Amino acid sequence: MDFVNKLFKGFKPTGSCCGKKGGEIRGNLSKIAIVGSPNVGKSVMFNRLTGAYVTVSNYPGTTVEVARGKTRIGDRELEVIDTPGMYSLLPITEEERVARNILIEEKPDIIIHIVDAKNLERMLPLTLQLIEAKLKVVLVLNIIDEAEKIGMKINSQHLEKDLKVPVVSTVSTTGRGIDILKGRIEEYVRNM
Amino acid sequence: MSETCKYPGDILENSLEKIENLLGADHGISKRSIGLLLLQEDEEIMSLVKSSEAESFAQIMEIVNHAKTHFQEPLSYIISQRRQEEASSIVSGAIEHLPKPGLPFKEKLSRVMINPVTGIPILLVILYCGIYKFVGEFGAGTVVDFIETDIFENHINPWITQVVSSIIPRHLFRELFVGEYGMITLGLRYAVALILPIVTTFFIAFAIIEDTGYLPRLALLIDRIFKKIGLTGRAVIPMVLGLGCDTMATMVTRTLPTKRERIIATILLALAIPCAAQLGVILSLLEGNSKGLWIWAGVVGLVFVLIGFLSSKVLPGDSPSFYMEIPPLRLPKLSNVFIKTYTRVKWYFMEIFPMFILASMMIWIGQITGLFSLLTKILEYPIRWIGLPDKTAVAFLFGFFRRDYGAGGLYDIKKAGLFTGNQLVVACVTLTLFLPCIAQFLMNVKERGWKTGVGISVFILLFSFTAGFIMNLILNILGISL
Repeated sequence: MDFVNKLFKGFKPTGSCCGKKGGEIRGNLSKIAIVGSPNVGKSVMFNRLTGAYVTVSNYPGTTVEVARGKTRIGDRELEVIDTPGMYSLLPITEEERVARNILIEEKPDIIIHIVDAKNLERMLPLTLQLIEAKLKVVLVLNIIDEAEKIGMKINSQHLEKDLKVPVVSTVSTTGRGIDILKGRIEEYVRNM
Repeated sequence: MSETCKYPGDILENSLEKIENLLGADHGISKRSIGLLLLQEDEEIMSLVKSSEAESFAQIMEIVNHAKTHFQEPLSYIISQRRQEEASSIVSGAIEHLPKPGLPFKEKLSRVMINPVTGIPILLVILYCGIYKFVGEFGAGTVVDFIETDIFENHINPWITQVVSSIIPRHLFRELFVGEYGMITLGLRYAVALILPIVTTFFIAFAIIEDTGYLPRLALLIDRIFKKIGLTGRAVIPMVLGLGCDTMATMVTRTLPTKRERIIATILLALAIPCAAQLGVILSLLEGNSKGLWIWAGVVGLVFVLIGFLSSKVLPGDSPSFYMEIPPLRLPKLSNVFIKTYTRVKWYFMEIFPMFILASMMIWIGQITGLFSLLTKILEYPIRWIGLPDKTAVAFLFGFFRRDYGAGGLYDIKKAGLFTGNQLVVACVTLTLFLPCIAQFLMNVKERGWKTGVGISVFILLFSFTAGFIMNLILNILGISL
């Protein structure tokens, strides 16, 4: 019964924060972690990649628990982890601490760093920190349609050259750019 | 290998290099990152390194302290400033066209929402249309009346009673299914006829409001008021979410930056924020009694501010600072509103349904063993102190299970015409403040620990009855009858 589960959940240590969907996934699947500031579309991207559903809202801080799911990229199955929003590797709030612990404890093979393209400048420092941490990062310029709408143009090849990581433009709510993103992840996976 | 981001002054890069050489264990992220976090004195990382490299830890801290003496500002500031410079220079190279900052319509609308002069009327309109009209009148009024009276009372209840009577001849066992507190006639009816329509309409309204991006603006609008009660605008989101389900909202208090803020928010959620089901039932109870509704809202609002203010004085800690990402205003997507409402309602219903059935079973057992009437008898004393009819004790006993279940109990008593106007308002206030449901209690314990969780419950139990007592007294002394 749900109530009994809840009761037990209350006594588990907080470290065993199992997500709402998917439950525990065993085995040695490669892991993809989705990270980024609050409200940039991490959960929508998670839904896109896994086909599962986690609540999506237009305000920061919707995801406080960690959700997990699976995705198929090329011929391989990967585990996808949706994390609460983080601004920096130096956490201030509990949710940021939860997100960082995933990076440290679970050692994901690939990090998808999602940024709001309009606010690239403010969000890029986290990309720099992730690269600095020697994690395999893919930078996703999400909500690119809103950036284009206000007349902003970003040269992603230029960014790739400077950062030396793949850069993909997407609109996660409509699905634009998702195939390209999957392609870039596949390249990474093949070299793993 | 060249690093993406170099840090200023040889002292930082040198200290980093020294720390990196002292680090041995693998922490999932590069030594350089660990080194930087150590320089910024991240507590978690410090204790991690302290346990993994006990010998060199003192030496590392020496390097950190030495580096600190070279700068006036904290190292975390220096480091993030340097990173931002690097980021800005990369972005300026990659951006081909930057729009001129102007004030489009959306931005103007956004400012109107945040400005107190225009923002508060907008908030009132949203509350009136979204909560009072849609959830209160439509959900808890029209839809509940239809399902409750037309479907259950006129069709399902008589039919099922007949069917069960023909199958189960013994009165005692029949009571379990179709009695006064039967699994079908009470448990199922509360869940489907009362709670389901209310919660569904609330979650629809809430999904629309949240998808527009209004909530962060509301946070800015009432940040100043919230500061007085030891919270910041950031706490608006758990509070508004609490109007949906306090258990869910207690979990979301994790987004608040300080422990102090999280405790204050947890107390306020448990005490003074009614959940959607409760709110809906209360709105329909006080329907046609607008004076009573205002008094209820006024008293609960006052308790919210008073307890927030007092606990911010009692709990140690600094006033928090406020920083929040403001997303753009967007038109809500119908599909997202639909799927979000669906998942929330499903989650909520799955949560309450077994509880309601279980409650009917326990009441049944309680009735056979006599425990039920004993507990009701005990509860009748405080109920009399606050001037309510004895029968209300049953509703409060339900309230121990779930607040919405308790509010449902009041609904039945009102329907039977057992309340005077005053009693109804006092009952609504007391039950709103009354103990959170079991799920929320468990969440409080999980998030805040046993001591705080139990402490909050004891405090609320005493406080809610005291508040009801005082309110009844004041109404009597002033000779007000509602």
